[in-house]
Amino acid sequence: MTDRLSDLSKQALEDIRNTSTLEALDSVRVQYLGKKGSVSTQLKKLSDLDPSDRPRIGKEVNKLKKLVEHEIANKKNSLNDEKIKSNIEDSSLDVTMPGRRTVIGNKHPVSSTLNEIEKIFLNAGFLVEDGPEIEDEYHNFTALNIPENHPARAMHDTFYFNAQYLLRTHTSPIQIRSMEKYGVPIRVIAPGKVYRRDSDITHTPMFHQIEGLVIDKDINFTHLKGILHDFINTFFEDDMKLRFRPSYFPFTEPSAEVDLLSKDNQWLEILGCGMVHPKVLTNLGIDNEIFNGYAFGMGVERLAMLKYGINDIRLFYENDLNFLNQFK
Amino acid sequence: MKLPVEWLKKHNKKVTDVHNLIHKLTLAGIECELIDHNKQQVIDFSLTPNRADCFSLKGILQEIAAIDNKNFKGLRNQTSKIHHNQSLPIAIESTQDCPVFVTRVIKDFDNKVSSPMWLKDRLELSGFKSVNLVVDIANYVMLETGQPLHTYDLDSINSKIIVRRAKNKESIKILDGSSKVLNKNFLVIADKDKTLGIAGIMGSEASGISETTTSILLESAYFNFEIIMGKSRLLNLYSEASLRFERGVDPNIQSHAVERFTELLNQEAGGNNGPIKQALSNKDKPKNKFIFLRKNHIRKTLGITIPNKSIVNILKRLNMELQEKDFGYEGWSVKAPSYRFDLQDECDLIEEIARIYGYEKIPESTEKQNINLQLTSLRVEKKNKISNLLCSFGYSEVVNYSFVSPAMNLLSKKSYSDALDIQNPLSIDMSVMRNSLWPGLITNLSHNLKRQQNDIRLFEIGKVFSSHKKIPDEKLVISGLVYGNRHSEQWGEETRSLDFYDVKGHLEDMFNQFQIIGNISFKKVKHSMLCPGKSASIRLKNKTIGFVGELNPEISNELKLDSNPVMFELDYDALKMNQQINYYPSKYFPYSRRDLSILMDIDVEVKSIIKMIDALKIKDLSNIIIFDVYMDDKISSDKKSVALGLIFQSKSRTLKDDEIDKYMIRINQLILKEMNLIIR
Repeated sequence: MTDRLSDLSKQALEDIRNTSTLEALDSVRVQYLGKKGSVSTQLKKLSDLDPSDRPRIGKEVNKLKKLVEHEIANKKNSLNDEKIKSNIEDSSLDVTMPGRRTVIGNKHPVSSTLNEIEKIFLNAGFLVEDGPEIEDEYHNFTALNIPENHPARAMHDTFYFNAQYLLRTHTSPIQIRSMEKYGVPIRVIAPGKVYRRDSDITHTPMFHQIEGLVIDKDINFTHLKGILHDFINTFFEDDMKLRFRPSYFPFTEPSAEVDLLSKDNQWLEILGCGMVHPKVLTNLGIDNEIFNGYAFGMGVERLAMLKYGINDIRLFYENDLNFLNQFK
Repeated sequence: MKLPVEWLKKHNKKVTDVHNLIHKLTLAGIECELIDHNKQQVIDFSLTPNRADCFSLKGILQEIAAIDNKNFKGLRNQTSKIHHNQSLPIAIESTQDCPVFVTRVIKDFDNKVSSPMWLKDRLELSGFKSVNLVVDIANYVMLETGQPLHTYDLDSINSKIIVRRAKNKESIKILDGSSKVLNKNFLVIADKDKTLGIAGIMGSEASGISETTTSILLESAYFNFEIIMGKSRLLNLYSEASLRFERGVDPNIQSHAVERFTELLNQEAGGNNGPIKQALSNKDKPKNKFIFLRKNHIRKTLGITIPNKSIVNILKRLNMELQEKDFGYEGWSVKAPSYRFDLQDECDLIEEIARIYGYEKIPESTEKQNINLQLTSLRVEKKNKISNLLCSFGYSEVVNYSFVSPAMNLLSKKSYSDALDIQNPLSIDMSVMRNSLWPGLITNLSHNLKRQQNDIRLFEIGKVFSSHKKIPDEKLVISGLVYGNRHSEQWGEETRSLDFYDVKGHLEDMFNQFQIIGNISFKKVKHSMLCPGKSASIRLKNKTIGFVGELNPEISNELKLDSNPVMFELDYDALKMNQQINYYPSKYFPYSRRDLSILMDIDVEVKSIIKMIDALKIKDLSNIIIFDVYMDDKISSDKKSVALGLIFQSKSRTLKDDEIDKYMIRINQLILKEMNLIIR
């Protein structure tokens, strides 16, 4: 009996050793340990033995069973390891093949420029407001100290719907609307579309402006110069040279145009600004002896053109994907 | 306004470096540039409307003198000989409109003489065409002094000059041959029986001088700028005279201009001069008032302290009259010269001080700001969130003009009644405000297809416009268009065209991000621009917030598109930035899934079944997935089979199989008995 067990043990270990796949190993397991397997059969035979022999033989059969189980488990581990290893060795990709890409769109350069400008001023504590593109005479002109028939209205070639309504010619009416809404003190910028009856290589009948307005106690011209220079430096990510020169806007006094010195040493007009005209404040019932402030307005396309070196403003409205996809 | 450099140099010997002069003027607010005209230097001035005083050689010389801190003595003043006594009586009916009206009769000059070269040259370089000696001299004197002059053929005037308001519907044939109809807001010059001209703008054809004219009446007037302002625009009739009168002419130079004209005419073509005849209403002449200029206000506005001496010096250089006075504030009482109509308030004077002092000398500084913690603008965040989502779905942003052609607008709406037309469009193609962004997107699609772009996804955020009972209205919308393949051609994967459900998916993802997906439904609708069977309205609760669908194949065909783009348009305001996140603590309990395949009529909306199941209010039914829809002719040509995956999951415990079985029995009963559908 003991010899038979010893032979069975030898045979089992050899069979286990000789398997080379997990499947074969499983057959070996069934062959020895399955319900009808040779080891199981030995266990069943125990009842046929002399009762005095049973504990000893039983112990040996159990030992054999554990040994086979152990060896199978070991073999299984090593076969598994081999399989993973060979999987790793066999698997290889052509990593130079293109990946599966999705399509990602881009924002329009005017939008992203607007957004950049907004971010800069948001950091400086400005609110962002907007207003209607169809304006009334009052907000577009009269409230900004541009009475009817004033020659300054000729500076804005206006699209009209009727005697009362027009397409706003600048974002400045939002100055008025913001003060009507929030009162003072106020720090606000207002981006948006504006319209002028003008069309050539440097003008499109629709373009974008950003208006800025600060009304508070003790605001003066040095602050206006300071913030605009800071803004321009931040926007162009460089130390830019600016020139403020006197100009005329009916709603600011003193007024200035700001020129930027380009790389080829040309002064380029980039924005208009000034100290808010006291009449604009008085019209809104604001005491101009206590409050004063500054306002500025700039063309967004112009800033984008300077930043990216675009030379024709009309490209912004052609919406050619070859153009648009360059602004990522 | 243009002036030849040679002319300036003749009057100001110090002008040697033209570039420096231009720089100085520009930095003092007189924007100008040097241009080359047939190798002659000309300065082109871009004058702002407030600086009427600079609209002449004299004005510019005066300005240069002020900048240079030099005295300007004015132009030479000569009095002409009087040869006869003839003059015409002047009757001014509204002296407020015309406080100064100066005339002179000049007779028997030689009308064969043409303008001398120097005169022609200066005029040409200044942008004036030479006409004849009389007109040329009038223009020349205007350029030199800033005073517009008008000359009438003396023989055409009947007995007297009347300055009056026009009658309503009074018609006049003017010098350029056209007829204008006036009203009582216009001022006219007339004689006893006819209208001789529109004051300050243009004379009549009949009273104008001709080749045979040898005697003239010269007019040099000051018209109140309020009676001239805006009139050129009304008549669409612009003249050099109206340009100056509407900005304001010095009310003290009319006689001087007459003398200068007489001098030049006599010098070139002789002539017999009559006396200067003038109608003057001193009380109606504009007079500048004294303005209080507070020292502390200069400081408050400019942020710097300019020494009193410098301030006084600057004001005097600008020919201001001033008194040092104490009005409770330390300051001056200042009166601007008669030619400066723009200096009405203290702030105007402060600008004068600043610009002569030099803007570049004013330093930059940073405001003392109260710390003001605020949320970043939701407005900006929202636009970014929408744009970023659409970009991540592959859409590129476009920006189109807000105006389109009437035909374009009709694409998206059959009726024209609420179209918003521009009164004065640039062209017919830009004459109506758009009522949808789709026409723009379709135009962009065509443009890019022509440039061999194949897979195109575009979006735009912009306003659409309409008109209700003549009141214009505007609304911000988000629109998108997709065309072509789902992804660009690539190995190992077959591509397919983007379709309605791709776009619907983009929208649903967006609604999900804005946390409104639960209240969104899509309803089949007809829309003139969309394919009738493949278009839906997008509804938020019970409100339509937009449309999505395939472009109507008839329009695609017209545009020669191979397939129909899918488009959407959505109210911007329907999406709101969520400030509150509704968080609830959640525990994990395993879910169970049961699948169900239902056979139904092909035109029944799957949504109707989901709705019915939802109505059972099985709270542990957490989700229903539609994982297959197929049509099989073997079953029936008018049926479709829909496979649903029902997900059961409780928030508080693990569900038992027999609980789910009970739920399934209810669902099966509903479908079999109440809806009469077949479960396969």
